[in-house]
Amino acid sequence: MAYVATRGGERAIEQSERLFRAELGRIDANRVAQIRNALPWLIDRVMGEASLYDRDLAALALAQTGGDLYEAVLVLRAWRTTQPRLAIAEPVTQERLFTHRRISAAFKDIPGGQILGPTLDYSHRMLATDVLEGRPFDPAPVTPAVRPAPAQQPSLAAWQKAQGLVADPPRADVAPDAIPDLTREPLLFPASRAHTLQSLARADTGGVLALGYSAMRGYGSAHPTVNELRLAEADLRVRHPRGTVFSAGRVRVSQAEVTSKGRNGQLELGFCATLGWNEVKTIAGATLDLNAPGAAKNAATDPEFFLYHTEPVEASGFCIHFKLPHYVTFQSALDALRGAKAASPAKEEVPA
Amino acid sequence: MSLATLTKPWAAFSYGFLDASAKRELRRKMLKAIAVPGCQMPYASREVPMARGWGTGGLQVTLTLLKPTSRVKVIDQGADDSVNAASIRKFLHRVSGATETWDTLDATIIQSRHRVPEERLRDDQILVLQVPNPEPLRPVEPNMSTARQMHADADYGRLWLVLYEQIVRSGRVMQGAAYPSLVNGRHVMTPSPIPRWDVPKLNMARHLTFLSAGREKRLYAVPPFTRVEPLAFSDVPYKVEDHGNLTCSRSGVTGFFMNEIPQEDGSAVHELSDSHLGIKAIRRAEGEAAPIGATWYQNGEFRA
Amino acid sequence: MTLHATPVPDAAETRANATFEALMWALSRPGTVQPLPEPGHGAIAEALVDRECRAFTDDPALAPRLAAFGAALVSPVHADHAFVSLARPAGVASFAQLPAGSALYPDEGATVVAEARFGTGQRLRLTGPGIETTAEITVDGIDPGLWAARAARCRYPEGIDLFLTCGAAVIGLPRSTRIEVL
Repeated sequence: MAYVATRGGERAIEQSERLFRAELGRIDANRVAQIRNALPWLIDRVMGEASLYDRDLAALALAQTGGDLYEAVLVLRAWRTTQPRLAIAEPVTQERLFTHRRISAAFKDIPGGQILGPTLDYSHRMLATDVLEGRPFDPAPVTPAVRPAPAQQPSLAAWQKAQGLVADPPRADVAPDAIPDLTREPLLFPASRAHTLQSLARADTGGVLALGYSAMRGYGSAHPTVNELRLAEADLRVRHPRGTVFSAGRVRVSQAEVTSKGRNGQLELGFCATLGWNEVKTIAGATLDLNAPGAAKNAATDPEFFLYHTEPVEASGFCIHFKLPHYVTFQSALDALRGAKAASPAKEEVPA
Repeated sequence: MSLATLTKPWAAFSYGFLDASAKRELRRKMLKAIAVPGCQMPYASREVPMARGWGTGGLQVTLTLLKPTSRVKVIDQGADDSVNAASIRKFLHRVSGATETWDTLDATIIQSRHRVPEERLRDDQILVLQVPNPEPLRPVEPNMSTARQMHADADYGRLWLVLYEQIVRSGRVMQGAAYPSLVNGRHVMTPSPIPRWDVPKLNMARHLTFLSAGREKRLYAVPPFTRVEPLAFSDVPYKVEDHGNLTCSRSGVTGFFMNEIPQEDGSAVHELSDSHLGIKAIRRAEGEAAPIGATWYQNGEFRA
Repeated sequence: MTLHATPVPDAAETRANATFEALMWALSRPGTVQPLPEPGHGAIAEALVDRECRAFTDDPALAPRLAAFGAALVSPVHADHAFVSLARPAGVASFAQLPAGSALYPDEGATVVAEARFGTGQRLRLTGPGIETTAEITVDGIDPGLWAARAARCRYPEGIDLFLTCGAAVIGLPRSTRIEVL
């Protein structure tokens, strides 16, 4: 009779979701706005991995999932995939970026200058426990530079190209709607350049860091030097059906270009860019890209290896799927095991 | 022309969740999958509101097929009330209005993880199997590009070698579920992690089977009346699980795939893995009308 | 997190769903006649073709519709979908140029839709997946050269998958089907 009575599954899943959501409490526009304003770097990371640029939606996803990053990215990806593609933006070039931060480790100074911009790099990482004792933390005012840095900067690689230090990669002129799109086509290998960069752009920050770090520690053949790192805003220029090009707003982007010591008299470049500001991911991603040419099959620097394994939705989903019941497969394996044991009972009784 | 001509009225989501372009891509790939049985067809595999590895591949195929008159059954490990099966079935109903059912005989689409129902499927029914890993060669070749080349060359020697080594070492083939099988004499596929008990149900069947791996972005099919032959040596025949003589402690039914339930006294009891078959058997025993269809196994033996 | 109303398919969704169902069963059971929701090739194109596709057609009425669905109109050599008349040798010549995919990517073999008349004309015996023993069909309005051209391009798993329509009826002939011209 127990069989007939069981609709336990449906009740259980409903209640378990309620239990999760009860702890988060009411979600309203105010909570979403607070998350959006208080955690811009987290919002950026989530938007990059979701490949969906909308701070409100990213904040909502974080609110709804209680900050479980993989869940938040999944919610956003699932929403994103149902949206129509209205237009394809004009290409964004480095020279046109509104740059907030620009660092090169390769030279003491570079054309256009080094711009530190917003960073915790040189802060002392001390917890502001005063806040918990009732003494709020108010940031000190920023003193503007006497000579503000120009908003737009040339690309360092352009200078290197002019010097003959960097090979100009072959350019292919592709019609905008013929650009391979990872969200509408499967990733196959050898991957197109577009698929590789798109895949890195939406990769899991932690995953890219782990594999990129392994390459940095010597499991890759090329040691990276940061040629140019940028945190910037890109103007999103879209062509109206009537032909005029207009700005549809700005998105925050980050990009890293790393270089090796070079081979055959030329520097090699690795590149990674993503929506939102995320330095760790772009430096690690560019390091993987730098190490990809000629990487041994199944090495962490082999594109098939690092692109498959840093896909946040796939990797996290598969990891948590092991919670699902597997008792049929287990039963099947058990049957084979018992069959083998029955066939050779003598093996067990061999004296030591 | 204005921007509005590029788009359409806003809706929270499309019928059947997937948008028209996602469905068209799936349709194209499903047709190719039927045309080359057992051959893995790459597809974009959109994100759906469920975690990867939780049936998103099967879900996309089912969502493409669904219409308001569909009757959909979802099982996990053979059970309709398993938590994830319940979650998927509820979602399918919510986005399509399709009727939920537990009865194999009543269903037009059956989405399943790890089992094929015990009642024979008819020629108007579609079985959608969720696939965690679509690549039968992965145990011998983790690199997908290399594995693809091996399929292109019908180079299955290393798979045969693994089976041979198991026989030498253990006296029998040790492969449990997901038994590699040759489809239409050309492509080796994994039938998904169904037990060996279920593989013969796919051979020269009347129904259409789709197998879809969302995370791995591959789908393949076994059309009706297609040969599905588990890899086996002529002198070491294919063996299904030794469940033919087990009896379900709840329904009293004998001769089907069972779950083994360990007991505190050190013994074990068994229960039907196909949970709704068990429910129907109990109802019948209690005098209710609960039609049970013809089954693939009779008295614990597979009948072609 | 929650959805409020039960969604209802619009006319386009209903048509595409029913069209695909007919195509799916037609290809799954080669030789059986399946009902399409409407005659003609427009609905088939609508169910399958969009901006990810490259299509060839020799039907001047269909070409603008294919373009409206977003497909790039191309020559047969580059087409993944072809809506073509096979009544005359010229059509068969186009058919023979379509991609048949490769052993590595059999999915790159083209899908072809062509008009025919069922129940009269050439008798064909079919065997292969989807057919319990053998099936027989008679089709007319197809140039007799097609069958040799098809056999030459269907080097399994490479090949071209063919749908024949007769009004609002469709027969599927996947590459896996062996066709014997009787």
